[in-house]
Amino acid sequence: MEAIASVMPEVIETIPVPTYINGSHALMQALVAEGVETIFGYPGGAIMPVYDALYDFQERINHILVRHEQGAGHAAEGYARVTGRAGVCLVTSGPGATNLVTAIADALIDSTPMVCIVGQVAKKLLGTDAFQEADVMGVTMPITKWNYQITSADEVPDIISKAFYIAQSGRPGPVLIDITKSAQLELMTKPFTYERCQTIISYKPRRIPKQEQVEAAAQLINNAKKPYLLVGHGVQIAKAEEELKAFAEKTGIPVATTLLGQSTISTDHPLYVGWLGMHGNYGPNVMTDEADIIIAIGMRFDDRVTGDASKYIKQAKVVHIEIDPSEIDKIIHADAPVVGDAKEALKALLPLVHPNDHTIWRNEFRKYDAIENEAITIPTLNTPSGKIRMGEVIDMLSRKTKGEAVLVTDVGQHQMMASRYYQFRRPNSLVTSGGMGTMGFALPAAFGAQVGAPDRQVVAIIGDGCFQMTLQELGTIVQNKQPVKAIILNNNFLGMVRQWQQLFHERRYSFVELQNPDFITIARGFGMDGQTCSERENLSTALDTMLNHDGPFLLEVIVETEENVFPMVPAGTSVSQIRLK
Amino acid sequence: MTTYTICIFTENTIGLLNRITIIFTRRRINIESLTVSETERKGVSRFTIVIKHESREEVEKLVRQIRKIVEVLAVFGYLNDEIVYNEIALFKISTTLGNKPLDVETINQQYKAWVVYWGLDYVVIEKTGNDTEIFEFFNYIKRHDILEFVRSGRVAVGKTEKGLVEYLPEEAEWEHYM
Ligand SMILES: Cc1ncc(C[n+]2csc(CCOP(=O)(O)OP(=O)(O)O)c2C)c(N)n1
Repeated sequence: MEAIASVMPEVIETIPVPTYINGSHALMQALVAEGVETIFGYPGGAIMPVYDALYDFQERINHILVRHEQGAGHAAEGYARVTGRAGVCLVTSGPGATNLVTAIADALIDSTPMVCIVGQVAKKLLGTDAFQEADVMGVTMPITKWNYQITSADEVPDIISKAFYIAQSGRPGPVLIDITKSAQLELMTKPFTYERCQTIISYKPRRIPKQEQVEAAAQLINNAKKPYLLVGHGVQIAKAEEELKAFAEKTGIPVATTLLGQSTISTDHPLYVGWLGMHGNYGPNVMTDEADIIIAIGMRFDDRVTGDASKYIKQAKVVHIEIDPSEIDKIIHADAPVVGDAKEALKALLPLVHPNDHTIWRNEFRKYDAIENEAITIPTLNTPSGKIRMGEVIDMLSRKTKGEAVLVTDVGQHQMMASRYYQFRRPNSLVTSGGMGTMGFALPAAFGAQVGAPDRQVVAIIGDGCFQMTLQELGTIVQNKQPVKAIILNNNFLGMVRQWQQLFHERRYSFVELQNPDFITIARGFGMDGQTCSERENLSTALDTMLNHDGPFLLEVIVETEENVFPMVPAGTSVSQIRLK
Repeated sequence: MTTYTICIFTENTIGLLNRITIIFTRRRINIESLTVSETERKGVSRFTIVIKHESREEVEKLVRQIRKIVEVLAVFGYLNDEIVYNEIALFKISTTLGNKPLDVETINQQYKAWVVYWGLDYVVIEKTGNDTEIFEFFNYIKRHDILEFVRSGRVAVGKTEKGLVEYLPEEAEWEHYM
């Protein structure tokens, strides 16, 4: 003991003690190494050391201050949906984190890559009900693809690289990293090094499908008389639009998409027949009952697509191409499952399928188009008098933007009308909350999409109800000078709920009428230009004014108050019971 | 209702039990028993969860959902005849004066149960076996005054000749436990 005591002080003096960066700087370095350019965030007590480090990184990372953490979440989603890269959010503990929860749930169900970095109280305060402590790990466990709590600075590089890898690979999804304030402040005990995660021992999403699965699928497809392609969001996530087109063109198989699958293939492509679902097109829905082979790609047979699943495509054999094995047989039995990335699967299938034409079969869809046009589309677009219809606005917008805008839609009737009447010409052009149906999604998501795709025209289509859920993000749009165009289709009702009350609850309108504020005054208050249009003859000029405006613009269109969205497959019925009125 | 034994091999990290049980709760599947231990491989935990379910399809879906958890290495759902399984039960039996005397010979020979602790006024009897065997013994021993009775969850190994390592991802070196 004595010997050691006499040696110790000398040792300490002679070896220079290296100092390494703290956890917050490590986090910044990790984000830079990961190629992150933009963060959507909101500061607070438990994340202040990170914001302090961010101060030194302003040149390399563009931090965007939102007005509410939910806005940060949806903006990150919008950004991710147009770029294909993870959107990044940075928020404080407790209420900051819980405000993010809706967006995380939304991102999970719509397979959107997102990395949420959330402050947490210091390690020694965990579990003590400290100020702004919430069990964010517990809260987000069921709604994240993965979550992890960092309690020491040394963990930062490995965990951040793992977070991005998990969020962006396989079936993408949100990852949450809870980082204690002590880990943000403490120094690393080793030099910072960063290696991008390539693989995780317990997580191995399959990209390349098994050859025997591909062959089994090809055989079913080659023997089909009435094959039918149902294309989901997965095809755009895999960036497999070209492969899909090549496959469809070689085989002559008609293509329908899900709500989120829209814009995968141009709506004027001869093989495109329309979209599926509760308010989807007539032919595509009823023809699912006629097909002998259904080829479902990157879609999950959501109940809004299948209606009563026990009566769905009973006559058909199903080829299900899907990266997430837990989706196989979850709702609909797959006779030929192909587990893998949509792009890889289509590439592998292409040489194995026979060229075909299927003209007669394809023409069967057209007779339903005629019925739908006659009953719904033509009358809507040729309304002679009265208030403007939502469809007219979207149709005109579609022409004026040549179908090339990124449409970001909120949730309700206007969402369905936007899908019905916009003619998408370019991939990755519809950003909407499909699985969660989150009102308030559109304004912040449009902002995020514009940040991610500065060269594209971004137009948000928003209901008067939805707008009031996240309208404070007008401030974010203005402060960041993003030229987002937002259209409020104002029917003075929570329209979609009103429609259900009218159709299924004998018009007992229970709490669906809104006393709305003056939206344009609100926009002006935020420093954003805007205008209201209530007359049909002014609509075209109003849209031109909006589209030609330099900078963000809010256009409010006063529309028919009690218009309904048709076709409609009433909830719980089979798709064959689709109603035209 | 059929009994299924779900064996889950995972990395040993905080919160994993929560991640796994969330999947059962969300689907309203009741857990009959659950045991966790480290396996013969360092850092690999083994969860053995027993459930009853009417639909094999639903159990298969459950297994696929569990497999989706990032830290899960492998999952198996077994029927009873595909595994060797056992439980352990402890019975604390009062032996105060005046109580019916214990027939240790029957307990040992007929029920293969053993007295593992002699207290002043009680004994602790250990019985291993499957649930039927344990309840047969319970029915026999209940003529005595049972002060406490506890059953462990099921532990099980598959009847195939394969070892655990063959199911684990290939590229890692799986070190032995001790
Ligand atoms: C956060 C949230 N709350 C409630 C709902 C239920 N909901 C779905 S559509 C809708 C009405 C939306 O009204 P509005 O924004 O005016 O659009 P409209 O249907 O009139 O086009 C409601 C309340 C929801 N989807 N999300």
